[in-house]
Amino acid sequence: MKLINKSIPSIRLSEFISEIEDCIAAAFYGDTFWITTEISDVNKKPDKRWCYLKLIEKEGKNVTAEIGAVFWTPGYAYIEKFEKETKQLFKDGLEITCRVKVTFHKRWGLKLEVVEIDYAYTLGKLEAERQETLERLVKENPDHVKLVGEQYYTYNKSLPLPTVVQRIALITAPESDGQRDFKQELINNPYGYAFHVDEFVTQIQGDKAHEFILGKLLLIEAQKEKYDVIAIVRGGGSQLDLKAFDNYDLAQAVASFPIPILTGIGHDRNTSIVDLMARQEKTPTKVANVLIQRNFQFEQNVLELKERLSDTVDTLFTNAKNNLKEIKRFVKASNPLTILKKGFAIVKQNNVIVTNPSTIEVGAEIQIQFDKETISSTVTKKKKNGK
Amino acid sequence: MENELTYNEALSKLEEIVEQIEDDSIMLDTLTEKVAQANELIKYCETKLRTIEGDVRDVLK
Repeated sequence: MKLINKSIPSIRLSEFISEIEDCIAAAFYGDTFWITTEISDVNKKPDKRWCYLKLIEKEGKNVTAEIGAVFWTPGYAYIEKFEKETKQLFKDGLEITCRVKVTFHKRWGLKLEVVEIDYAYTLGKLEAERQETLERLVKENPDHVKLVGEQYYTYNKSLPLPTVVQRIALITAPESDGQRDFKQELINNPYGYAFHVDEFVTQIQGDKAHEFILGKLLLIEAQKEKYDVIAIVRGGGSQLDLKAFDNYDLAQAVASFPIPILTGIGHDRNTSIVDLMARQEKTPTKVANVLIQRNFQFEQNVLELKERLSDTVDTLFTNAKNNLKEIKRFVKASNPLTILKKGFAIVKQNNVIVTNPSTIEVGAEIQIQFDKETISSTVTKKKKNGK
Repeated sequence: MENELTYNEALSKLEEIVEQIEDDSIMLDTLTEKVAQANELIKYCETKLRTIEGDVRDVLK
């Protein structure tokens, strides 16, 4: 066999790759570059604090540029910061602006190492999307969403809370902190109020979460006479991925929903659009508390009324008794027998009371009635009083 | 005789009689009769008031 290759001068692969490495180093070593790119194939290794991914660019559906990228430990902290600041999971499909370093490895080839993420870019983009959704809600639902100053007024928020809240539809993630906190708070209420809670558990994070939550709302609406209020809660632990709660369709459904909705989505910086459309409380515990306080308020009102009633009744009977006592005293004082007891006497002639003595002649027989006895006597003399 | 009367009816009757007693021109004969009527009404009102109060307090318990 002829060894053709022997006749052509060649170098070893490693040497060749070293040359490529040198070229790249000469062109890029020590420099970093800011680029804006979509991310895909995100593969996080939280234990090692690395993350592999691809940076891509698309035209329509076609990927027109693509390169492998990696976060090593120093850059990995930016992923965490990004998630904390934007409340978004760092995941496929996001557009980010990041600072990269060109790296080349003999075996693993060309890669961009991401050393920083500009989350302000993503935040700005999210905020613009959010504003757009809010404007659309106002524009397309004039009967249900109104913006006055900086306040959003919705049909749902205008619904009064029932005077007493007892039947609650709870939308929450299964086995979540939010679910547990909410129920614990209700069960442990110090006044011993009883609540009936029907749970509608669903995924509340992720790309399809808004559809799942919307589905639960529709399910509740179909049996709306069974519920006083709806509570939508999620735990405060994870701050990530509130995107579902900024979804137009879900926000629209909440704004026009016929049963009052309270949200305890558990995040302190950003208010989601769903929060703006409903009664927003900070946490699941606070939502439960609002409901307990609502009932407490009612009980206080009832107790106060009871006290007022009791006071009014007391006054009424005291007055009535006093009035009667007064009349009794007067009648007693007016009783002729009472007068006789004081030493007065009634003069009668032929059993008729005499009020005018001029009709009585000297010698006439008269009866004098005292308290206990009546005396018959004969008139012997007459004389005008005071003479 | 007064069994059908409400408390307020009995009371206004009583007040009417009191007014008649207050009238200076009332005859002594009539007075005795009015006082008797008044006493009867007073007794009726007292009983009625006690019964009503008992009932109300029961309801309020």
